This record gives sequence, structure tokens and C-alpha cells, in this order.
Amino acid sequence: MNLRRPRWIWLALALGGVAAVGLAQAAWDDYLLSIVNFVGIYAILAVSLNLTNGFAGLFSLGHPGFMAIGGYVTAILTLPASRKAMFLALPGWLAGIELPFLPALLAGGAAATLTAFLLGLSVLRLSGHYLAVATMGFLIIVQVLIENWESVTRGPLGLNGLAALTDLWWVYGGLLAAVYVSWKVKFSSFGRSMLAMREDSLAAQCLGVNLFRTRVAALAIGAFFAGVAGGLWAHLVTAITPGTFSLIMAFNIVVMVVVGGTGSITGAVVAAVVFSAATEIFRPLEESFEAYGIAEILMALVLLVILIYRPSGLFGSREPAFLTAGPTHEPGNHPATAKGGQR
Amino acid sequence: MKRTLLGVLALAVFFLGTGTPWAADATIKLGALYNLTGGMSSIDAPALNGAKLQAKLINEKGGVLGKKLEVIGIDTKTDQKAAATGAQKALSEGVIAGLGYGDTTYVMAAAPLFQKKGLPFVTSGATHPELPKWVGDYMFMVPFGDDDQSFAIADFTVKKLNARNVAVWTDNSMDFTKALSKFYMARIKELGGTVVLEDFFKMGDKDFSAQIARLKAASPKADAVFVSAIPNEAGLSVKQIREAGLTLPIVSGDGFDTELVTTVPGPKLANAVYFSTHTYREDNRPEVVAFVKAYEKEYKKPPENAFAALGFDAVGLIADGLKRAGKVDGKALRDALAATKGYKAVTGEITYSRPSMVPAKGVSIISVMNGKYKVEEVWMPKP
Amino acid sequence: MTADYIAQQIVNGLILGSMYALVAIGFSMIYGIVRLINFAHGDIVMIGAFVTLGLLQSLGAPLPVVAVGVLLSGAGMGIAVERAAFRPMRGAPQVTGFIASLAVSIMLQNLGILTLTAQPRNFAFPDYLQALIHVGAVGFRVIDVVIMLSAVLLMGLLLLLVHRTRLGMAMRATAENLDVARLMGIPINRTIRAAFAVGSGLAAIAGLMWGGKFGQIDPLLGYVPGLKSFVAAVIGGGGSIPGAILGGYVLGLAEVLFVGLLPPIYSAFRDAFVFAALILILLALPNGILGKAAEDRA
Repeated sequence: MNLRRPRWIWLALALGGVAAVGLAQAAWDDYLLSIVNFVGIYAILAVSLNLTNGFAGLFSLGHPGFMAIGGYVTAILTLPASRKAMFLALPGWLAGIELPFLPALLAGGAAATLTAFLLGLSVLRLSGHYLAVATMGFLIIVQVLIENWESVTRGPLGLNGLAALTDLWWVYGGLLAAVYVSWKVKFSSFGRSMLAMREDSLAAQCLGVNLFRTRVAALAIGAFFAGVAGGLWAHLVTAITPGTFSLIMAFNIVVMVVVGGTGSITGAVVAAVVFSAATEIFRPLEESFEAYGIAEILMALVLLVILIYRPSGLFGSREPAFLTAGPTHEPGNHPATAKGGQR
Repeated sequence: MKRTLLGVLALAVFFLGTGTPWAADATIKLGALYNLTGGMSSIDAPALNGAKLQAKLINEKGGVLGKKLEVIGIDTKTDQKAAATGAQKALSEGVIAGLGYGDTTYVMAAAPLFQKKGLPFVTSGATHPELPKWVGDYMFMVPFGDDDQSFAIADFTVKKLNARNVAVWTDNSMDFTKALSKFYMARIKELGGTVVLEDFFKMGDKDFSAQIARLKAASPKADAVFVSAIPNEAGLSVKQIREAGLTLPIVSGDGFDTELVTTVPGPKLANAVYFSTHTYREDNRPEVVAFVKAYEKEYKKPPENAFAALGFDAVGLIADGLKRAGKVDGKALRDALAATKGYKAVTGEITYSRPSMVPAKGVSIISVMNGKYKVEEVWMPKP
Repeated sequence: MTADYIAQQIVNGLILGSMYALVAIGFSMIYGIVRLINFAHGDIVMIGAFVTLGLLQSLGAPLPVVAVGVLLSGAGMGIAVERAAFRPMRGAPQVTGFIASLAVSIMLQNLGILTLTAQPRNFAFPDYLQALIHVGAVGFRVIDVVIMLSAVLLMGLLLLLVHRTRLGMAMRATAENLDVARLMGIPINRTIRAAFAVGSGLAAIAGLMWGGKFGQIDPLLGYVPGLKSFVAAVIGGGGSIPGAILGGYVLGLAEVLFVGLLPPIYSAFRDAFVFAALILILLALPNGILGKAAEDRA
């Protein structure tokens, strides 16, 4: 980490953050809280996809699939045994388990990571649009499996009546973790090999970067946070259904990453905030004119305008200067890359 | 440029947070949650039209309890996140009750929030019979349950169409169509019939040639085919089945209650189609006639499907409940609604007489011959 | 599982595949020349379908006139999309162009919902096109034959355009290296605009056929053909026009045969099987069926 600010600034910011979250949780009304919670979850998704798509340049459309896996695993683990018996037909050892939120979330993330490994081993030799189609295929396969494996997922009806465990603490705690991990990865030699791989895979290979392993790792780390986000989502809506984890959601997250700047963590967070909040801001407009669909059109226009003026996204590949006082780390700029990105 | 963006955002959040409630207690607010854009829009949009029309008519007659009804239409974009935040928004705006949706998935995202706040939620179009059980005692259904309508059409299939061997096609991606098929097949077997073929498709499918070829080759031959589909696939499936030269009766539930079932195949091919639905189409009751006339006057077109009538009824039911409750209070409204007896809705009479809280409404069996609709019979469930 | 049954299912697959191939041709025209995924392609199909409906219903014009009108409206729409979404993104990373076209797609869909309402409408072609023909035990309709012939004919015409005309040569040069092509004096803007016009005109014609075959259209119908054409083009080999056609047929056959030839209980898993098969094809042929090894620009 190359943050050159004195330690106590970070401590003050942390305390301030904790106070803000505590105050908000206590004072704001449910509507505002739900928006802010969703904003946070989308931010986690954007940051995690930024790792896969942004750093490593993998055109992955499968992210909602990891969300779904994480979400369902978390939901099944937190459901009390009686409700499990009512809805599902699980094997004995699973039917009795009932976990608190944190282990369930971590289990969801782990399940997603495991799936990512398996997926990655098969398709990560592909690149570009071919990878896009393959990951789209993964997403559809996951959706079909969820819709039909009724004994485990209850099919299209999904699971409802989940405990409303998600609140600002969990969401922003998760976001902090995702940002921290992403930041650490980005400014490490591992991250530099990823960025090198994205810029020019042939040259990176010549320098000794193991393309395949780097890609699988990028997919797996991104998948972990997507799985956690899925678990948070399920316990925010208190229901989980297969239809939510669609190709349309994949597009939404890709939009956030691209608009923020592929490779920029700050960009991903900002874009997630802008897009999740903006649809709520445009809502009153829609309702007063009774012209439903205007919010979508305006959002699309905003998107186009942003892309026209900043085709590389709001922040490009960088983080804003005030956060990274010190030499900006770009591939080709740092002596460590020349050494082949050894871990 | 980034800073101004952030600044504007911060201001916006600030205003949302402090919440400037223009305390307009002169109106009674109802939150109407519908998917007005996205895949479910063709089903939900007419329902909102119906709901707003009912509010307008009631206000013209002086409103309820001396106040005007205000229906706040919220678009939840066929998206679960929007459904959850939309419900929260409605609750934050001081609604006395919520209504909406034609599909169980979205009801489950919104209704529990109303239950928690102690405000009733009335679904206009979701038909799963276990909804009140899952959500709680503040959940109310305007339509009948899928079990009732499946039994009705199954009885018709075996007794009136004399079909013993039935093929069943199910849209496997929607809980509504799956539940419908499940209840239908159970009833067919109870009545001594056999399901000779079970085939599947998905919402959004356009081509049924594979399933049709299999249906043609089925042995024993099917006397009728039950297509458990929603309106988007209703017309398409009838058209393709008939185009392939198959003349066997096509049977379904209220997903087939749409103009598409006659317009897409065309009058020549729209033949021997039978479906169960809400008692409204081709019905001569004064409520129905008045509704259709009012809808055409307001929107310059006839009601697109039964969901328009159901949305109309949802608001009507809530208004009726409010009148009987005598005050604008969540619990009082809930109790009044639960005690509803014989409310004359456009889609039939509503009485919550059963412990499952699913209304015991009549089910209309409608036939389509040469592109014309006709009510064959009205099936009444056991009270 | 008789021979007749299998034959019918194969014919069904070919018919569906022709429909997808027809949509994929226009898509691959743009994809092949400008290397950009145009997500609004499906929505131009939708516009073509609605323009057809409008011209048929309000003007009662004969079919050939309608076809020309549709072609022109599609071409015009394509030029507009190019100007609005793609020209400003030139030089930006590829995925930016994709997102821009996604934005255009969202706008078109929601404009459709606002102006036309989301209700599906029926679409009635003249009766002679709907007639059923039988060859042995296999049945299909006149319109299906028309679609198949159109797909093949248009592919032929397109290949002629790309390989035998000056415009085609200009397009191929632009595809290979934009800057050098510009240095050679090729009018880049006009060439790219022509590619979009041709590709989108083809999309609109595909919309006419789509409406005629299925008989039902709505403002959201573009999503499915858009996605299928993207998948078909990629599977067939990115950038190859015959590849896109082949990809369309592979997709259509897979969709029908995975339902028709497996026991009915698996029909619900159709999409999973189709994509699993596609992934296997990609693993065996990482550049698609007819694609060449990744073009590494210097």
C-alpha cells in the first residue's frame, strides 16, 4: 500500500464512518435505508466485477450466477430447520443446519469461489467475446438449474420469509472488505501482472506471467464477493428467486464497471452509487407525468453522455490522486513489472 | 465536473433523507405497485389503468369517508430490487394500504413489508392459494386461487370434453404456471383421466415446433392438451398447434384470458380453445357492463385483459373495506377486509369465508370458436 | 422415435435456424466490419416488425413495397445509431461501444413502451404464406421456406458485396486496420456508415420475417433476436459472415433437437443443454467454428 497519509487520518475517517453508519441506521426511515443498502450491495458487485473484468480484462457476464449461488447457499443455511422442512427436501445433514449470518455469508462466498474455480478451469482459455458467450452460458445454466432443482431451491417460487438480517453495518462492512481486498490486489505485483495481462497478453506472457492462473484467480476473487453480495441481497429483500439473477443484471453491473472506468475501484463505487440512486431520483418524475419508462430512457441518456465525454470511464484505470499520494502505478511504469511480476 | 456531480448527489440524498412530507391528509393514499416496464408490463399496466379508473369513479361520487382516494402508481420495472424499494417508498408516503402485481414473485418482495408495518396489501392478479399463509393476516387476494381454477378446468376437460388422455405443457420458468399444472394434473388423475405426455417450455419461447412434433407422435394419442402459459405465449402456442394441423382441444387457465388468443392465430385457427378465468369476459352483469363502458371512455380502448378488471376491483375492495371500517386505520381496515361478504366485484363476488383466506369466487369457463368468445359455464367452488 | 419424427424435428431445427441466421447476417455485417457488438441490432429487428405492421395495416400496401419501406427504415435507423452511439466511441475500448449500444437498446425499448404500450399485437401476413406443405410425413409452411431462401439469398448478396465490390473492399480494409485504411484514402466514415446501413436494413427485413413467422410482436421483442444473433455470430466465428449463418443454424438445431430428441422431462433444461453444447464447441474451437486465430493488431 502506498498511501502516504499519516495513520491518524485513517483512524479519524474510520471513526467518522462508524459514527455515520450508526447514526444513519438509527435515524433514517426504511425507504432511505433500503436505497442505501441496495447502493452498497451494487457497489460490492461493481467492485468485485471490476476485479474480474477491469483488472484482468475478462469479459465475464456470469457474475449474477455467482450471486445466485452465494445467495441461495446463505439463505438455505440461515433458514430455520422448520422452514427448511416446509419448503425443501434436503439431505439429512443439511436439513438440520442453521447458521448465524456471518458463517452463512462466508459459506455462500466460498461456494461461489469454488464454482468459479471449476468454471475457470474450463473456459478461461477463451478470451474476448468468446469468453462472454461462455460466461453467459454459465449464467443460463445456473438459472436453469435453480429453476428445476426444486428439492434444494424450490424452483421459480424461490425462498421467501428469510430473516431480514442485512443492514448498513453488514453491507458497508462487506463493501469495505471488497474495496480493501481489491486495493491490495491492485497495488501488488499480482495486480500488476493482471493489468499487464489486460493491456497486452502476449507481452505479459513473455515476461513470465502465467495467464491462466492469473485469470482463474481474478475470476475466483471476484466470485467470492459476488457470492457475499448475493447473500446480503437475499436477506435484504427477505426473498430469493431465480429471475433476479438474469443477464439484465449482468449488463447492469458491467455498465457500472465500464462507466466507472475498467480497473478503477473508486470508479466502480461511484458508478454504482450514481446508477442505483439515480433510478430512485428519477422516479418522482415518472410518477407525476405517468409516463413510465422515462426513468430508463433518462438513465440510458446519462450513460451515453458519460461515455461520449469520457470513453474510458469516469476515472479511467486510475484511482483519484488524493487517495494515492505517490507515484501512480501503471503497467510499464514500475520497475517491478520488468521483473516479471513474481509473487 | 466530478465534484459538481458528487455535490448534486449529496444534495439529493440530503433532501431525500430529511424527507419533506407535504402532509396532505385530505386524501387517502393507496400505493399501487406494478411492473410497468420490463417483461411483465403487458400484464401489469392494464391493472394500474383499472385501479386508477376505479379511484376516479369513486372520487366523482364523493370519495370515501369524505376524502378523495389517491392511487400512487409505482413502477417496479420487473425488478426485485425496485419492488422492495418501491414498497418502502409507498410506505414512507403514508399509504393506508398497498395493492398490485399479477405474479407471486413480486408480491413476495413487497407484501411482507406491508405486513410488518401493519398495513393491508391486496394483490389484484397473483393467484397462488398459499399467499395469505406465507405473508400473514394483512395479505388479501382479489382473484381466486390456482387450485380452484385448475379444478374447474380439469372438471370441464374430463366431464364436458370427454377427454381421458391429456397432454400437459408447462412453462417451467414461472411459479404460476407450474402450480397451475400441478393442481390440474392432480385433479385429472382424481377424475380417472391419464396424463399421457408432460412437456415443458419457458416464458419468452417463440417456437414450439419441437413440442408439437412430440405431441403429434404421442401414443396413446392425447384427447386434449393443457398449455399452462401466460398471455405472451398463449396466442403463439395456439397458432402453432393449429398451424401444424392438430385439431385437438387446447385447454388452459387464466393465462389464456387475452385478446391474443384470438388475434394471433386469427379467426380461422382460433378454434376449440377452452380456458378458466375470472368471471368477467362476455359477462352481462351490470358491474361488468359499467366497467367496460367506463374503461373505454377513459382509455379509448377496451380492457386489454382480465387484469384490468382485477386492478379495478382491488381499489374497489379497499374502498369498500374503508367504508365499513369507518376510519383510516391499518388494523381497522384489515379487520373490515377480512370480514368482506359478497362484495360485488367486476370479476365476481368476493367473500373471505375460508380459513385459507382465498376468496371463494366463481370460475368462468370460456370457449373460443372461430375467434369468438363464449362463456360455457361458471364453476363454483365449495364455500 | 421414428425416422419420420426425427426428420420432422431436424426440419424444425433448420427452420428455426434460418430465422436466427437471418438476424445474425445483419449483426455479423457490423461485427465483422467494425468489430463492435451492436446490442441495438435486436431492437432494429423490432422496429422493422412494427414498421411492417404499420405499413400493412394503415396503407394496405403490397408486400414488396412494404419490404422496401422496411429496408429503408432499418437502414436509416442504423445510420442514426452509428452516429449517436458508435462514432463518438471510436478508438475507445471495445466494451465501451457495447455498453453504448446497450444504452441505445434500452432507449428504443422504453420509447416503444411509452408510445406503443407493452401489449403484444398480432401480425397477420397474407394467407398464402401461412399454408402448410407436406413432403412425405414432414410438414412446414410456405413462410418457413421463404425465410430459408431469404437467408441464403441475402448471405450470397452480402458476400458478393463484401468481396466483389469496391465498397466491400473498403469495408474489409477498414476492418483490418482503420488507420492505414484512412491513410490509403478510404472514406472511413462513409464506409462504416454503409456497413451499419446494410446491416440494419437486413435487421429490419429480419423483423418483417419474424413478425410474419410468429404472428405476434411487442416493443420488447428485440431482446431475444439480439442475443441470439450475438451468440450465433460468436459461435460461428467472430467476424465471419458465413460463420454467423452457420452459428444461427447450429443454435436453431440445438434448441429444437435438445427438446425433440431427449425425453420430455429434459425439455425444461433445454437452454442449459444448448449453452453447454456451445461451450463445448468453443473449447474445441476457441475462435468459433469458422473463425481465424485472434487478430492481433500491431
